[in-house]
Amino acid sequence: MAQLQLEQIRKSFLNGESEEEVLKGVNLSLEKGEVTALIGASGSGKSTLLTIAAGLQPLTSGKVLFENQNLAELRPEQVRKIRARHFGFVFQSSHLVPFLTVEEQLAMMMDIAGMKVSKHEKETQIKNILEQVGMTHRLKAYPPSLSGGEKQRVAVARAIIHNPKVLFADEPTASLDSKRSKDTMALLQGVTKSLGMTTLTVTHDEEMLVYADRIVTMSDGQILESAESAGRFS
Amino acid sequence: MKIAWKEMKKNKSRYLIVGSIVLLISLVTFIISGLANGLSQDNVSLIKNMPDGTFYMSEDANESFSQSHINASKQQILNSKHDAFAFSIQMGSLKNEADNQQSVAFLTSTDTPLLKQVNEGEVILDSGLKAEGIEVGDELSSPLFDGTFKVIDFVDNQTFNHSPAALISQETFEEMFRTDEWQLLYLPDTTETISGLQSYSKKEFLSTIPSYQAEQMTLNMIVWFLVVISGMLFGIFFYMMNVQKVGMYGILKALGIKTSVLFKMMWSQMALITIIALLISTAISQVFQYVAPESMPYHLTLTTTLQLSLVFAVVGFIGSTLSGFQIKKIDPLQAIQQGEA
Repeated sequence: MAQLQLEQIRKSFLNGESEEEVLKGVNLSLEKGEVTALIGASGSGKSTLLTIAAGLQPLTSGKVLFENQNLAELRPEQVRKIRARHFGFVFQSSHLVPFLTVEEQLAMMMDIAGMKVSKHEKETQIKNILEQVGMTHRLKAYPPSLSGGEKQRVAVARAIIHNPKVLFADEPTASLDSKRSKDTMALLQGVTKSLGMTTLTVTHDEEMLVYADRIVTMSDGQILESAESAGRFS
Repeated sequence: MKIAWKEMKKNKSRYLIVGSIVLLISLVTFIISGLANGLSQDNVSLIKNMPDGTFYMSEDANESFSQSHINASKQQILNSKHDAFAFSIQMGSLKNEADNQQSVAFLTSTDTPLLKQVNEGEVILDSGLKAEGIEVGDELSSPLFDGTFKVIDFVDNQTFNHSPAALISQETFEEMFRTDEWQLLYLPDTTETISGLQSYSKKEFLSTIPSYQAEQMTLNMIVWFLVVISGMLFGIFFYMMNVQKVGMYGILKALGIKTSVLFKMMWSQMALITIIALLISTAISQVFQYVAPESMPYHLTLTTTLQLSLVFAVVGFIGSTLSGFQIKKIDPLQAIQQGEA
């Protein structure tokens, strides 16, 4: 069963006096335990589709179905709650809070998600996640002292600390070099499988597609092709 | 609230600067207010220090105590009200032996515990004249009086029309100003009316004193103008702080943080800065009262300081809340697309 279902998604923007349609009836089904990569030329609508699926912007028409609820019909507060509890985000830039240590970033996310756990349990969970992303040695470090790759690892840890059901990654490797990009994508793929999540990622880098289970190619606001990745069984 | 505190700890210098600005602005307002109150006190402390009660002038005085003359028949009230008293004030001057002239407000009254009584040829002066080198035992003269006045004592805070009061006997006052009629009657703790006399509350009477009302309006205008400007500055500084954090707020909103949590974060930071700054400026302004030169009219009660502090806290809260409305409008999407928070 699909974890997140997008049905007939349409999105129009006003461009001066004319209306521009950037998504033209997109249908997409995201399965549990799968990494879906959205690719396509700039302006094809992939980032818009991701942000609509994540409840970060309204759609003109269509349905975003998550656990039998259509996000498009929910009140903003209900969408916020779903985002906080069930969605995780990794952005192009790490967007870590500059005045919080690595440990505090994750603790804050647990608070945002409304996780009611003891202090000890919180510390244990934070250590476990940091172990998964290989960042236990930087527990007390502040973002400015981390390298680009380390920041992105912490961003991934923050995105998964509350066991989200869907992970959204908008060009998570855009600001990283080749090696760090591969590490980050391998990490995303790994946590998607180990935690049984669904990951939707946007990428420009074809090298990263080996880490996806499904590749969705977009063009001019429509899905051109949806295929299993060659790396799916590798 | 932990986030708010951690941000302040990590960005100490930024919050220290904002706190210092709040402190300096509030301190300036407190000091100016102290000086304004001091001037006001210096003008009419003689009247201000009297307990609440009613002042009476003759009906034909045209609201000017110097033109008031209460005749003997009206003075019968003094016999029936034992705590009532009559008094008169006239401006004049005193000279010491070195021929230094000092403007004073000559004051005389019937027997009352509120004003010390003196015999003929004696004078009790406001203690402000000590700074002019006048001491107990000095002989002073006046162009209006043939004899001399011997200084027998000093009293604190007895000034009128910005001049120190000089308490003299009724007989001497009559001789100097050629009148045996009283200008004013005073009944403490009452609001009763007396036929043929015009009654005034303390506040109303103060407003009949020439220049007092105009001076008060000017001073109050200065203080409240400062409060309003300070409030606007508070708002602007908190707004600037919020503008710098729009990106971070946007990311936190994208992650799912409640807008109310961001508001609480902003309010708690504003409250902490404001409270600490106001406590320090209150302490400094109160200490200033004791270290300010004696000749400087400075009067700032703790009540006035607390009232002004409350106004600052409210204005700061409103200013930060208004600037906080941008938090509500922040588009998480825009923040995500703008690079590092």
